[in-house]
Amino acid sequence: MYALSDVRKVFGNDAPALDGVSLTVGRGEHVAFIGPSGAGKTTLFRLLNLTLRPTAGVLLIDGVDVAALDGAGLRRARRRIGTIYQQHNLVGRLRVVHNVLAGNLGRWSLSTAVASLMRPRAADAARALEQVGIPEKLWARTDELSGGQQQRVAIARVLLQDPDVILADEPVSSVDPSLALTIVTLLRDLSHQSRKTLLVNLHSVELALGYFPRIVGVREGRIAFDLAPDEVTPELLGALYAGHSDATRQLDRIHDGIGSYGTACRPLPGFSK
Amino acid sequence: MSDTRATAGVGGAHWAWWTVAGFAALVAWSAHGTRVDVGALLGAEGLGQMTAYVAGLFPPDVSPPTLRDAALGAFETFAISFVGSVLAVGLGFSLALVASRTVLYRGILYAGERLAPAGRAGRIGIYALARGSLNALRTIPEILWALIFVFIVGLGPFAGVLALGVHTAGVLGKLFAEVIEDIDPRPIEALQATGASRLAIIVYGILPQAAPQFLSYALYRWEVNIRAAAVMGFVGAGGLGQRIHVAISLFHEHQLLTLLLAIYVIVTVVDALSAYLRARLL
Amino acid sequence: MASAPTAPPAARFPASPSRAPFGRFLAAAFTVVLAISLREAGVDPRLLVQSDAVGNAARFVRGMFPPALGVDFLGLLVRPVIETIQISLMGTTIAVVIGFPLGLLATASLMWRGALHERTPVARRALLGGVPYGLARALLSVFRAIPEYVWAFMFVRAVGLGPFPAVLALGVAYGGMLGKVYSEILEGVDSRPIEALRAAGASRAAIVLYGLVPSALPHLVSYTLYRWECAIRAAAILGFVGAGGIGQQLALSMRMFQFDEVLTELAVLFALVAAVDFVSGRIRGRLV
Repeated sequence: MYALSDVRKVFGNDAPALDGVSLTVGRGEHVAFIGPSGAGKTTLFRLLNLTLRPTAGVLLIDGVDVAALDGAGLRRARRRIGTIYQQHNLVGRLRVVHNVLAGNLGRWSLSTAVASLMRPRAADAARALEQVGIPEKLWARTDELSGGQQQRVAIARVLLQDPDVILADEPVSSVDPSLALTIVTLLRDLSHQSRKTLLVNLHSVELALGYFPRIVGVREGRIAFDLAPDEVTPELLGALYAGHSDATRQLDRIHDGIGSYGTACRPLPGFSK
Repeated sequence: MSDTRATAGVGGAHWAWWTVAGFAALVAWSAHGTRVDVGALLGAEGLGQMTAYVAGLFPPDVSPPTLRDAALGAFETFAISFVGSVLAVGLGFSLALVASRTVLYRGILYAGERLAPAGRAGRIGIYALARGSLNALRTIPEILWALIFVFIVGLGPFAGVLALGVHTAGVLGKLFAEVIEDIDPRPIEALQATGASRLAIIVYGILPQAAPQFLSYALYRWEVNIRAAAVMGFVGAGGLGQRIHVAISLFHEHQLLTLLLAIYVIVTVVDALSAYLRARLL
Repeated sequence: MASAPTAPPAARFPASPSRAPFGRFLAAAFTVVLAISLREAGVDPRLLVQSDAVGNAARFVRGMFPPALGVDFLGLLVRPVIETIQISLMGTTIAVVIGFPLGLLATASLMWRGALHERTPVARRALLGGVPYGLARALLSVFRAIPEYVWAFMFVRAVGLGPFPAVLALGVAYGGMLGKVYSEILEGVDSRPIEALRAAGASRAAIVLYGLVPSALPHLVSYTLYRWECAIRAAAILGFVGAGGIGQQLALSMRMFQFDEVLTELAVLFALVAAVDFVSGRIRGRLV
């Protein structure tokens, strides 16, 4: 699905946000990215969802070089990637139905898009909302929903977009811990059902280790490790988060066996744990 | 250390005194140049003349023909301000889109692409042209536009509509462009990630965020325009202004008062409507 | 959606809320008013493309070039430009002289409401505070509602023609606007320093001078400078109806169809407005 070789991203005259990143992700894989804030995970995701271009190196998506994409081709490629952000990625003043149907914008002509604002095909949106568990919010104004509900609307939008890849950039960092587990499992189950590739950027090491079969650690713009969860040792984690105090507290808690998420880890059929 | 602090304090005070003195000098110079003569104003003759004149306007002429004429004038002025404002919103919005850098060549909508240098230069040129036009439309006073349009399409309210529309488009366009450039880019980035075209992103992401501010500015500007519409009649652009000009020239004082009252009424009505709509919709 | 399950019956999801009746009513009202207004205002787009209009527009544009740049003419413009500047300065000054005292009187938190007056008996508050407050607000409202040119016209009766009536008109009309905004700024001032002063036993005048004015001053001056920017434009407009300055020159040149002069005068007006905006902007930047 994705093949990155020696990708580098520089903004202006600053130090590179990403450097020497090489990574391959196959179709249908579930990968969790962890690392301290500022490590470059978000930049990596913005490269993966074609919001940004690499400054150097090669990024192949399904064998196609991203650098060759432009205009309509770029939009077609973007359509195949669905993104969920940490927060504020929905248009607050629009009703939920419109935000969900916006997943179709990559397919629709402009006139269809405008017409949908006036007469939306609510049935499609309703189905997606049912899958994420909030069908009753169909006509609510999006900014009246709680953070967790808004994230579910964002997921519903991705469902309508029906992409090949789902990228989730810290989808549960601004959400109640009790809800975080629900959302992560929702993402996992939905991707598994439709065989989509799922790449998630997580602040919580616990969620990553407990629910994903492949863990990539990112630190200071480089990939520190790329392993299965049982190969991720406390030493590796310590080195990854060295110098970031809040994260090390999290690690201590995991080490002491105190979970933030209450329920026992539930392995996904087909993945070993 | 304390020395420098003390001198800084004194220096600051000096600077303030110089500003005040300079300002006072400017005012004195202006007073002289505009032949301010407080005596003439407050002296017996000035005050007397003014009060005599105002008193002479009463009572207002309330005969049916005058009232009908005033009502007609009021409706015409209202119509001029209304259509002019609608035209201004349409024209202003269109210009604002090409006068925002974030729509044309910068920001998140262009981060993943490669704009050919010629293309980019072209877009920057369009931006500069749009901003320049808005500036020109804004700085030429409505009255001058009225004179210009009277010259082009002849006397009457249509010239007033065009003048108001064009001038206000300049004002609103600049404000709209600023609103567009200041919106939250995060929903925009998310919409772009679905593969939507730039126009679709503008409709789904930019417009809903910007619309309340647009409406607020437009409604506020309507209050300004109703007053402007009344003045433009002086130069032949119809409405109450034109009738007032006639009444003054023919020394029809009582009719003049009626017309002035009509202005007051129509301005108050529009102010109230505007305030009500702003409260209700925003 | 590719892998959708069998569609649920339509009744399964909530129906769209009855389209807010107010929204529909508004849309309908807007359309009706627009249709009527288009007719009332004699809007006829065809007029714009008729040969007359196009011909006139062409004459206008052609007449502008080349702009009148003769030394005599340019020299002729110096006096009007100075006059416009002076009208704007003087008008704004008078507006402050009128607007500031009235603005103080029109501030509820100074006159009868809030922390300063808690211990004053109601009757005294109403008489010494409420009445002047009401009067000041009414006066400011009247000053604001009557357009500048009407004021100008009345003042011409009192003091004759020339720039002076324009100055007075600007002063009164803008005084009304300044007074209202001053009162809003003063109302919005942070009340804690005020209360601290009162707790320390300061007199009301001292509270105003040491508590209110210093924190409000930057905003007051900033808005006044903004008004000056408007005043320079208003001075130009008043010139059209006879008050002198660059506006009068423009009107004259238009009436005589000397479009090349119009272009030069427009350029001068631009430069003037830009200069005023620049100066005002710089000072306001230093303040806030």
